[in-house]
Amino acid sequence: MSALLSFENAPPFAAPLRFFLSAPLFVVLAGLLLLVDGPSLFASRWMPGTLAITHLLTVGFMLQVMLGALIQILPVVAGANLAQPQRLAVVLHAGLTLGTLALAGGFYLGAPALLSTAAILLGLSALLFVLATGRALLGVPSTSPTIRGLKLALLGLSAVVALGVAMALAIAGGWALPLARLADLHAAWGLGGWAGVLLAAMAYVVVPMFQLTPGYPARPSWWFPVLISALLLLWSVALVADLPWLIRLSEGGLALAGLAFAGLTGRLQGQRRRARADATYRYWQLGLGCSQLALLMLLTASLWPAVAELAGWSLIFGILLIAGGFMPFIIGMLYKIVPFLAWMHLQNQGQARIPAPHMNRILADADMQKQLRVYLAALFLLLAAVFFPDWLARPAGLLLALAGGGLGYNLGAAFRRYCRYGAEIASKLAAIG
Amino acid sequence: MSHPKTPHVVDARFMEPPDPFVHTMEMLDTLQPGETMLLLLYREPHPLYKVLRQNGHAYQTELLADGTFEILISR
Repeated sequence: MSALLSFENAPPFAAPLRFFLSAPLFVVLAGLLLLVDGPSLFASRWMPGTLAITHLLTVGFMLQVMLGALIQILPVVAGANLAQPQRLAVVLHAGLTLGTLALAGGFYLGAPALLSTAAILLGLSALLFVLATGRALLGVPSTSPTIRGLKLALLGLSAVVALGVAMALAIAGGWALPLARLADLHAAWGLGGWAGVLLAAMAYVVVPMFQLTPGYPARPSWWFPVLISALLLLWSVALVADLPWLIRLSEGGLALAGLAFAGLTGRLQGQRRRARADATYRYWQLGLGCSQLALLMLLTASLWPAVAELAGWSLIFGILLIAGGFMPFIIGMLYKIVPFLAWMHLQNQGQARIPAPHMNRILADADMQKQLRVYLAALFLLLAAVFFPDWLARPAGLLLALAGGGLGYNLGAAFRRYCRYGAEIASKLAAIG
Repeated sequence: MSHPKTPHVVDARFMEPPDPFVHTMEMLDTLQPGETMLLLLYREPHPLYKVLRQNGHAYQTELLADGTFEILISR
C-alpha cells in the first residue's frame, strides 16, 4: 500500500489529458491547411498560411502539450505543488485553444481583430501559467539542474509570449516595429529559451527514467539552461543596440550549446540498458538527428550569413527544427507519459487489491510504430516539398494531417481503454466488497 | 551491494518506476532504529521525499558529478 502513497497528490488524469487529446487536432488542422493551400505556402516563411501553420504546430501542438505535461509533472520532478491544478488546466486549456485558433485565423485571413484577440487570449493564458507555476516554484530551492531549468524556462516563456503579443498587436494596429528581426528573436526565445531549456530540464529526468540510460553529468546540466538564457539575453541586447555581429555570435553560441546537448543525449541513448527500440526511442533518435542538422545550419548561418538568403534555407531550417526535432521529442514523451499516467491512476483505483493492466495493453507499441511511420513519411515529404512544392506540398499536407490524426487516435484509444479497465476494476472491487 | 556510507543500498539507477519507490520502502521496513540506507537514482524522487517526511524519516541528498543523486535515509 505504501507504494501507492506517492501518487495520492497527483492531479486528476483529466487535467493533463485535455491538453494531450486536443493537441494532435492542431497538427491535423496544419496538415489540412497545407492540403488546401498547397504550393504557395512554400514561397516563403512569411506567407500568411505558412505563419498560420507554424503557430498551429508550435502553439497549438507544442505549447499545448508542454503546459499540460507541466501541470502533471511539476510535483513529481520539482516537488512544486500548484494550488488548483484542475482549475488551472480548464482555464488554460480554453485560453490556449481559442487563442491558437484566433492566431492562426488572424494570420491566414489577415484579420486584425483576430490577431488582437489572439494576443490577449494567449498573453493572459501565459501570464496565468507563469504566475501559477512561478508561485509554486518560488518556494522550491534549486536542488537539481531540472528545477533550475524549469525556472529559467519560465523566463523563456515570458519572453517569447511578450514578443509575440507585441508583434501581433503591432501587425493588427499597424505600428512600426522591425518585425523581421523581432520575429527571429521571438522564435529564438520560443524554441531555445522556452522549448529548448524545458526539453533539457525534462530530459535530465525522463531519458534515464524511461530509456534506462546513465544520467546526465551534473556540471553541464547545471550550466546548459543558464548558458542558453544568457545567450538569448545577449541577442536581445544586441537587437536593441543594433549590433548584428553580436546577434551572430549569440546564434553561433546557441547552435554549439544545442549541438553539445544533443550529442550528449545521443551518447547516453547509446548506453541504454533497454535493448528494444520502442516508439519513444525511435522518435527521440529522429528528433536528435533532425535537430542536429538544424543546429548545424544555424551554426553555418552565424558564420556565413549569406547562406541564410539561399532559396528554401529558412523553410528547411524551420521544418527540421520544429517538425523534425521538437515535435518528435514531444510525441515520444507523450507515448510514455499517457500510458504511464493511465496505469498509475488504474493502479490507485485498484487500491492494491486489483492490479492495473500492463502499460502495453493500454497503448501497444505496434500502434505507436505505425503512427511513427506515417509521421516519418510526412516529414520527408515536407522537406522534399521545399524543392518540389508543386508536386509535393499537398501530399505532405495530407500525410501531416494523417500523422496528427494517428497520434490523436492512439491517445484517444489509450483513454478509452483506460475508461474500460477503470470500469472493470470498479466492478471487481464492488464484487470483493 | 554495500557503500562507505551504509551497508544498506538500493541502486535504482537503471530501474523503471515505480520499482525504485517500492524497493526503497521495502528496505526501510527491514532497517533497525538508528540504521540508515542509501538510494541511488538519476533524479530527485520528490514523491518519495514527501512520503519520507510524512513517515518521519530524515534524508539528505547529494548530487554526484556523474549525475547520480545519493539519498541517505535514516530509519
